[in-house]
Amino acid sequence: MLGFSSGPDGRSTLPSVTTGPSITTRTPSRTRDRNALRTRRSIGLALGLFVLVLPWFLNLEGLSEPGHRMLGVFLMAIVLWVTEAIPLYATAALIIFLQILFISDQALWDLPAGFEAPTSASYFATLAHPVLMLFLGGFFLAEGAARYRLDRNLARIMLRPFGDSPAMIVLGLMVITAAFSMFMSNTATTATFLAVVLPVVATLEPGDRLRVALVMAIPLAANIGGIAPPVGTPPNAIAIGSLEEAGISVSFIRWMALATPAMIVLLLFGWQLIVRLFPASTERLTLNIEGSFDQTRPALVFYLTAAATIVLWLSEPIHGVSASVVGFMPVVVLLATGVLDSKDLQKMPWHVLWLVAGGVALGLAVNDSGLDRWLIDQVGWDAVPVGLLALALAFVATSMSTVISNSAAANLLIPIGLTLTVSGTVDLEPLAAGFFIAIGASLAMALPVSTPPNAIAYSTGALTTGAMARVGLAVGVVGLALFVFIAPLLWELMGVSP
Amino acid sequence: MSTITILVLEDEPEVRAAIARDLEPFAGSFRIEMADAADDARSVIAETLEADGEVGLILCDHLLPGLRGTEFLIELDHDPATAPMRKVLITGQAGHEDTIRAINEGGLDHYIAKPWTAEELHTVVREQLTEYVLAEVEDLLPYVNILDGPRLLEAISERGWDR
Repeated sequence: MLGFSSGPDGRSTLPSVTTGPSITTRTPSRTRDRNALRTRRSIGLALGLFVLVLPWFLNLEGLSEPGHRMLGVFLMAIVLWVTEAIPLYATAALIIFLQILFISDQALWDLPAGFEAPTSASYFATLAHPVLMLFLGGFFLAEGAARYRLDRNLARIMLRPFGDSPAMIVLGLMVITAAFSMFMSNTATTATFLAVVLPVVATLEPGDRLRVALVMAIPLAANIGGIAPPVGTPPNAIAIGSLEEAGISVSFIRWMALATPAMIVLLLFGWQLIVRLFPASTERLTLNIEGSFDQTRPALVFYLTAAATIVLWLSEPIHGVSASVVGFMPVVVLLATGVLDSKDLQKMPWHVLWLVAGGVALGLAVNDSGLDRWLIDQVGWDAVPVGLLALALAFVATSMSTVISNSAAANLLIPIGLTLTVSGTVDLEPLAAGFFIAIGASLAMALPVSTPPNAIAYSTGALTTGAMARVGLAVGVVGLALFVFIAPLLWELMGVSP
Repeated sequence: MSTITILVLEDEPEVRAAIARDLEPFAGSFRIEMADAADDARSVIAETLEADGEVGLILCDHLLPGLRGTEFLIELDHDPATAPMRKVLITGQAGHEDTIRAINEGGLDHYIAKPWTAEELHTVVREQLTEYVLAEVEDLLPYVNILDGPRLLEAISERGWDR
């Protein structure tokens, strides 16, 4: 990095300064990145198209004509979701579109006689699947919480009992972050609480490892917290939506009961790991979160609506109203009272819902086309022990979502996991299979690219990839063992086993 | 994503060197271009836009050969292609009238009086570039570390969703 470099056309930028400071353009490396991205996209698209049409020219034994067509769509989904040649949500929309064109009653090419073509409406309907309404309710609560700064205001109160020792502050931050990421997106929660922590981090000595601890604690807690409720993170929604399509309904509280105990243990493990790996050199730490509770009428309407929604979600066994119907309540109330308006409605992350819909639709069509039964027949499953299969499903989900999007990994794996179990091919409950895959996808947090919370924490510059990998890998491995082997024992005790 | 350019328009070589030195902390994440006259600056802007790049900030002197800095900034603000650019005047000699006109016509985001301190320049550049990326850039993550981190994180929190 010496001297002045020149502009794109080689023009000398500052000939008159000879003892100038180092000013370097980064254009070449950025250009390289962009070219690499373009290449990856082209390869992904070409490969996606190739695998899409390939099965049309094959004659696989035991696979029906619609099954062949769906095999192409499924392979294309793998390629496009892994390479991200087009955006994740665009792939989801494409899948729904192709399923309609290939195997529905609107199919462009004749389907064999005797095949009962599903209606195109049944695939379109995945875009308004009940589990999406549940998620939409979550989005409305998150939007309101951000608008009225409920997250920061509650955090200020919740942090008080934790005192001022650094280890306890880290625990407090983790508990609060995990609690909010249960109902808000992990990404938004991470960004909010990192914004709170960064000014404090800046006041610490450069060598104080508490800096790393504080910045690492937040994405970790957000990733872990999202596991617990159905609205915590998209893989949970994909599992619950797909299970519902398979005729298995999972209540909000049921999922919470399955996930929460192990989630809490994992959070405490993550806390101990962080404070031991990155001990503080300061003895006292104060974290000031400014603000006061908004007490205007719309804010009060929001607080009440949010509280009512959460209480109703958790009390489903008492009143019997399903979580998706409850989830639609805050949508209606907040729009009707004008707390949120059409602008907010437009701002909702519909693409996240569409991505989930793509996964549900894929599972539906894999089943409609008979591709599922054919896929299972390719492997001799009888020899696989249940414990090992559960671990394998979760492990594959974790490995895949370490490098690709958690939702995409869940979208690809859940149809396979459910097919295996719903058909009774293996002795594992479908709910357990869906649960382990969804949890597995959320346990991927070893790399900055693994989840948006990790990417955000990494962007602060306070963390090295190595530090993140050590914590993320340990939590991932311990989490897998905890959820697959220990949690089922707890389920027995609690009487909630799938 | 293209690298955002910071453009410095200053005709005196010594002052230009001083600004360049004070901009050093930004050199890793932004492209820094120097111009000694308005025509030169226009061609830097044209070339940058042509290469699909963007100029996020101009630091402009007032007394330039043939043109006042405020005039140039107003000109930039009237062109839709350069309107989003953050515009800072660094000067000791801009009169009230010129300055007021530049502010009223939208051509001026900040005024730095000469002599400036490195710290002052850093603060202004950080603030102005933060405004720029918040308004113009979709992926804010590359800037969290170099610009106003907490503000960018707040915005990420509003835009950010799990995937």
